[in-house]
Amino acid sequence: MASKHTIATRHAQGIRARFASRFLRSLLRLRRSGNRFGGSQSNDEGIGKRIRTDRIKIAAYAAMARAVGPRRSWSRALLFKLRNRARIHGVSRKRCLVSEKKRVTRNKVVAISREPSRADTLRKLVPGGDSMDTCVLLEETAHYIKCLATQVTVMQSIADRLLL
Amino acid sequence: MINRALLPAGGGENMLHCTDMTVLERQRARIKWQQEQQQQFQLQQQEISYFTELADVFHQAGVHEGGLSEVVTRSVKPDPGLVDNGWNNDHVVGYGVGLPYNNGLGFELNYGAISRTSSCPPEAVAAVAEATVKGSESVVSDMISSGAGRESSKKRKVDKAVAEEDTRDKRIKGCAEQGESKITEKNNNKNSRNNNTNKNSNSNKENSDETSKDNSKVSEVQKPDYIHVRARRGQATDSHSLAERVRREKISERMKYLQDLVPGCDKITGKAGMLDEIINYVQSLQRQVEFLSMKLAAANPRLDFNVDNLFAKEQAFPACSINFPTIGMSSDMTNPAYLQFNPAQQQLVACCGLDMGIDPPDMALKRTTSAPVSIPETFLDSSCFTQTHPPPTWDADLQNLYNVAFDQGRQTSFQTQPFTGSIEASNLKMEM
Repeated sequence: MASKHTIATRHAQGIRARFASRFLRSLLRLRRSGNRFGGSQSNDEGIGKRIRTDRIKIAAYAAMARAVGPRRSWSRALLFKLRNRARIHGVSRKRCLVSEKKRVTRNKVVAISREPSRADTLRKLVPGGDSMDTCVLLEETAHYIKCLATQVTVMQSIADRLLL
Repeated sequence: MINRALLPAGGGENMLHCTDMTVLERQRARIKWQQEQQQQFQLQQQEISYFTELADVFHQAGVHEGGLSEVVTRSVKPDPGLVDNGWNNDHVVGYGVGLPYNNGLGFELNYGAISRTSSCPPEAVAAVAEATVKGSESVVSDMISSGAGRESSKKRKVDKAVAEEDTRDKRIKGCAEQGESKITEKNNNKNSRNNNTNKNSNSNKENSDETSKDNSKVSEVQKPDYIHVRARRGQATDSHSLAERVRREKISERMKYLQDLVPGCDKITGKAGMLDEIINYVQSLQRQVEFLSMKLAAANPRLDFNVDNLFAKEQAFPACSINFPTIGMSSDMTNPAYLQFNPAQQQLVACCGLDMGIDPPDMALKRTTSAPVSIPETFLDSSCFTQTHPPPTWDADLQNLYNVAFDQGRQTSFQTQPFTGSIEASNLKMEM
């Protein structure tokens, strides 16, 4: 396992392999933890599926953010958000939103009375997009799209292999 | 006293020991004030000029103190502490120190030193020239004017390089006596350079530290966070509009890059349409992640084979997965985002076909258990019919796909080779 990890983290392999290794490891971890806490319970119920879906989704985003590293603004923002969410997981969702918004400057939270322009919509989509100007936003969007695309393809191949 | 006299001029009161002259006091006070003002740079030049001016004043005023001659001779010795910028030692007299004490001898010595050496500070030369030209009454006004000149020079962003340039020119051009016209020329040059630097600061995006040697070029950045921009012909030279133009160009450059990333954006021109496409694309990618995580959640309880195999496959052939949706489809539809999820079936079939290529080399790499074999067998069964027609074209297609669909050169060469080998192996396997 360690050798595979070192192979995967070589830069020649790129972000895809790094993400794939991390995501697979977290999947394994999830599966083991799912098996530990009552195997059949969360498998069949609808709520259980949603929980598992969300967990897998979060694991995917976290794996991607870690594979990118702290180099990019969006990955840093994403990791920060995930850490906050993990930290206040027990507390209600309202506080989670407040803590996220606190990071943003007050102006942006309060003064949105005009119709959201396209840049604002993009800011909502890209993690950490609120505190960027348009120029930086476009750059981060480009990198984010690239990483999202690799994430999708890797997840797709994993799902295909698992399901069939 | 002499040691103190040799201290730099900032030392102040200690050096003044023989002083009854009101002129002396006045000038000393003025000198001190000027010195404090411009102590950062051109220290030597100022002080030498002071020295010469004061010497001139004394000379004019006819102050001859015998006791001062000692001080003067001592002060004529070069002070190593004051040597800077490659000035001649002769030239750098212990001026700052023994300044007020001068007699004709010292003045002549100094003046001779100035005329002898080739490097002269422009202001000093100017002061000397002015002093020699004008009378004693006007010396004070000269000092004021030269002081004012020095202040304006301070306001100019004249670097040491410029000063050195001046001195170098001075060396070439010669001594002080000839230099009056040249001095005025120099002053004019400096003024024009001053104007040029002002213009540069207007036309630049931000103020810069550059020496104004070449005003017509966009020079290299000396400070890393300043960007030099030049106004184009026929366009506004306002600093605001320049900044805006730079910003717009940056944005358009990034939009072009995004246009390459987002598939299907070749036809779209204009920021608005592009932004819409980008937003749609990001939303669809995120929806896909959600859908795939649902799929994985459904599949999770059925993870009974070794996930380590997936590890090996993923890292050894990370290229393969990107090609799944692209085989058999037009190049426009390189992105699974734009396919509906129902045709996922076709994708899966294609995927399975490709997986054929993956597994044999994987087994060659790992040589492990029967667990990985079970999956390829299922792949084989479900997808054998696809094997017949793709194989001959796969090599070329996959090579192309590697080149096209794989951006930023993540692909390393070693991956293609096992892949092509694997396809033949898979063909063999099919026929078995």
